[in-house]
Amino acid sequence: MSDNAQPLAAHDQHEMRGRLRSAQDAPVVYVVDDDPAVLKGLARLLRSAGMEVVTYGSAHELMVQRDLNAPGCLVLDVSMPGLGGLELQKLLAQQGDEPAIVFLTGHGNIPMGVQAMKRGAVDFLTKPVNDVALLKAVSAAIERDRTQRLARAQLDEIRQCYATLTPREREVMQHVIAGRLNKQTAADLGTVEKTIKVHRSRIMQKMKVDSLAELVRIAERAGITGP
Amino acid sequence: MAVDLRDQGYPRNDHTPKDEPASDRLVGIYTRLGINQEFDISFVGRPNEATSAQWECFPWAAVRLHRPYSQSQFLPIIFKAEAGCAVATPGSRGFDVSPECSHMNLVTVIWSMIASACLTLAAMHLLVWFRKRTAWANLLFALTAVATAGMAACEVGTMHAQTPEEFGLFLRWFHVPGWLMIVTLVGFVRLYQRAGRPWLAWTVCGLRTVTLILDFVFTPNVNFRQITALRQISFLGTSISVAEGVPNPWMLIGHASLLLLVVFAIDATVTVWRRGERRQATLVGGSIIFFVTAGTLQMVLGMWEIVHMPLTPSLLFMGIVVAMGLELSEGVLRASELSDEVHETEARMALAAEAAGVGIWIWNIALNEVWGSERWMRMFGFASDADVTFENVMQRIHPEDRETVEREIGRALAERVDYAGEYRVVLPDSTQRWLTALGRVHPEANGSGGRMLGATLDITGRKASELEIAHQRNELAHLSRVTMLGELSGSLAHELNQPLTAILSNAQAAQRFMAREHVDLDEVRSILADIVAADQRAGEVIRRLRSLLKKEEVHHQPLSVNDVVQEVLKLMRSELMNRGVIVHVEVAKNLPQVQGDRIELQQVLLNLVINACDAMAERSAGTRRLRICTELVDTASIHISVADRGVGIPPDMLEQVFTPFYTTKVHGMGLGLAVCRTIISAHGGKLWAQSQPNHGATFHLTLPVDARSAEQREDKHE
Repeated sequence: MSDNAQPLAAHDQHEMRGRLRSAQDAPVVYVVDDDPAVLKGLARLLRSAGMEVVTYGSAHELMVQRDLNAPGCLVLDVSMPGLGGLELQKLLAQQGDEPAIVFLTGHGNIPMGVQAMKRGAVDFLTKPVNDVALLKAVSAAIERDRTQRLARAQLDEIRQCYATLTPREREVMQHVIAGRLNKQTAADLGTVEKTIKVHRSRIMQKMKVDSLAELVRIAERAGITGP
Repeated sequence: MAVDLRDQGYPRNDHTPKDEPASDRLVGIYTRLGINQEFDISFVGRPNEATSAQWECFPWAAVRLHRPYSQSQFLPIIFKAEAGCAVATPGSRGFDVSPECSHMNLVTVIWSMIASACLTLAAMHLLVWFRKRTAWANLLFALTAVATAGMAACEVGTMHAQTPEEFGLFLRWFHVPGWLMIVTLVGFVRLYQRAGRPWLAWTVCGLRTVTLILDFVFTPNVNFRQITALRQISFLGTSISVAEGVPNPWMLIGHASLLLLVVFAIDATVTVWRRGERRQATLVGGSIIFFVTAGTLQMVLGMWEIVHMPLTPSLLFMGIVVAMGLELSEGVLRASELSDEVHETEARMALAAEAAGVGIWIWNIALNEVWGSERWMRMFGFASDADVTFENVMQRIHPEDRETVEREIGRALAERVDYAGEYRVVLPDSTQRWLTALGRVHPEANGSGGRMLGATLDITGRKASELEIAHQRNELAHLSRVTMLGELSGSLAHELNQPLTAILSNAQAAQRFMAREHVDLDEVRSILADIVAADQRAGEVIRRLRSLLKKEEVHHQPLSVNDVVQEVLKLMRSELMNRGVIVHVEVAKNLPQVQGDRIELQQVLLNLVINACDAMAERSAGTRRLRICTELVDTASIHISVADRGVGIPPDMLEQVFTPFYTTKVHGMGLGLAVCRTIISAHGGKLWAQSQPNHGATFHLTLPVDARSAEQREDKHE
């Protein structure tokens, strides 16, 4: 299937778009459906709303060809031969990739929808899908992706900052965010209060925060906990 | 027998010529009524010895008138002699003895009777032969009888002969009926009794013919070189002549032929006896043997003058004629009995036919006349006395069936095979009946024309119940189909949803494109083309569904099994996908077509595929494999198999799965496979299951190849 002409073309397109994106950073909608007619129709509809669209005939193609770093969302058909939409979602999650997904199904049922939503789907729409509903869902998904990316970027930054701390500083920081006084920290670590103060100012500088409250917030976000 | 009339008070006047001893011939004279006692009659001598004009001669005696008498004075005088009795009436020269009276002796009476009886019989059987030219036995018998009559005549001639020449002549001509007698007798045995060795028959006839020829070569005949004198002997109270002379040794040939005839007759009789026709052997064979032997003996004794006796073979052959006549009349009797029996059989047949409701018909093809029993006439709505032609009958047959019936009858006539067919007739009151007819062609001997005989039965009732059963089967099949499609509804909705989704997306995309300032018309055109294609696809799905849901009469047509497989897989596409079943299809190329109902065959395959999917539901996702194969078997049938890798069927359940209401499914009715089997049976095929428990089950079905398709295929190959 991967030798097919169309996916290859899609791949090239994708590469090209990928290069463009690095400049513009425009979101891409990845549509996966085994039915070529449906795929074409959906792609057209999304493009008519000015969206960048990349289509795949199967989940497998998507797995192989999608650029993980590109912003955007996935529009997945639930029932496809081989790997279905829900299975794909599960598989991506296992790989630590949690893109914003809009599911489309011909004969969806409530349990299926609940399962999808629980796993973080943006929306679960039934075919034939109305343009407004689809575009709204796709927009929401793109928005979610954007926010997620932003959050992830911030988290990455925090982690990068955290990585610059020396082990002693990390130790001190754990005590600080736990709300302990300098004196207490000094006693715990077997040093003097002055040294702790120096560490603390270095931590604030390295973590690019101005207040203790801010430090506590980003520490929480990065999952850094007290001793 | 000497009677002295004097003792009885009759006057007597003995005037016996000196040279003639009258005593051995004349017993007495008497007058019954003498007006004048003076007249006087004497019997003297033999006619050739008569010397006086007053002697009136006749074969046995002479009457001498002593005095002239006027006629009125005389009333008939009856006199009696050994030779017989005669009536003398006074004539101009004396007594005129009327010839008929003069021959009215026992010999004449018996021989005349023989002759007349034979001629009567001959006439009767000739008539039979004239009527029926194949009755050769009757003709031969008639000839035998005629010959016997001829022999009798010649015998009387010899017995009454006055001179040796006369005797010789009669004896010579005697051999002509004699020849005829023997030849026809031999023919009769060969033809009627169907016995006797041909070479013996030919030898007898040949020898007899030689004898006949010799008879005319020698003078006076084959029996005598010379007849010197006639000797009067007394026979049956009459004086008759026997010849004295030199026997002709050539007559041994004749005797040999007679002896051979006896041998031939014995041989034939033995054959007939062994064949079991004992009565005929005894009567005809026995009489031929006995009488011919007796005749031969007589000829030998008489002709060689061992014993002086008259020639009386006709008397003996009369016995044979009587036996033959009896035998033939037995045939006549049997024919009449047969005719009675035939009438009875006919009556019984008619009764049976009437009771069974069968109409009988005979179609005389050359005359184009159709005779039908009363019931048959009623079946076709004809008046019982109507003249019916083939066209009349065809007119009554339903227009839709007419062509088939005509073609089939034409074929039966051309190929001389039996006709059998079922058709509808439309009666004059426009009611419709179903009839079945059987016909047999009876060609004429010369091969042209001939007749067709047959029986017709009203099967309207049976047809109605057949149609009712077919209708019910159809209903059940439909019910089963609808149930099955119900199970598939989700997948089928998906099949319909896909094109609808494409249409909606495309249409709304178009709307958005159109709303832009610069409308890309090429894009819009492309969108519209895609919408049309998707719509057609949706229509196709609906059409397929409708055809399965619709309740239609079964319509058989030539179709490709591979097409049916593909259609079913199209219908099942979503279902198979949802159930994670991987399908392998191995269809043979260039398969001939089968005669079948597309919907029903789709139903069967759908059912088998759904069952297979159900059987694999418990298996892990990657192992749900379904294999569908089609192949040609023995050029006469197509084999389709649907194999799954499911749980399989226990061996003792392999047949039970086809019984109605047997099911392993929670919501199943248990009708699916039962209906499938009925459908395949109605297609002339077979459906059965095979399974290795835990390794899956395979359902096999065979369908007969459409004969016409097979022919076309062969043509193509050539």
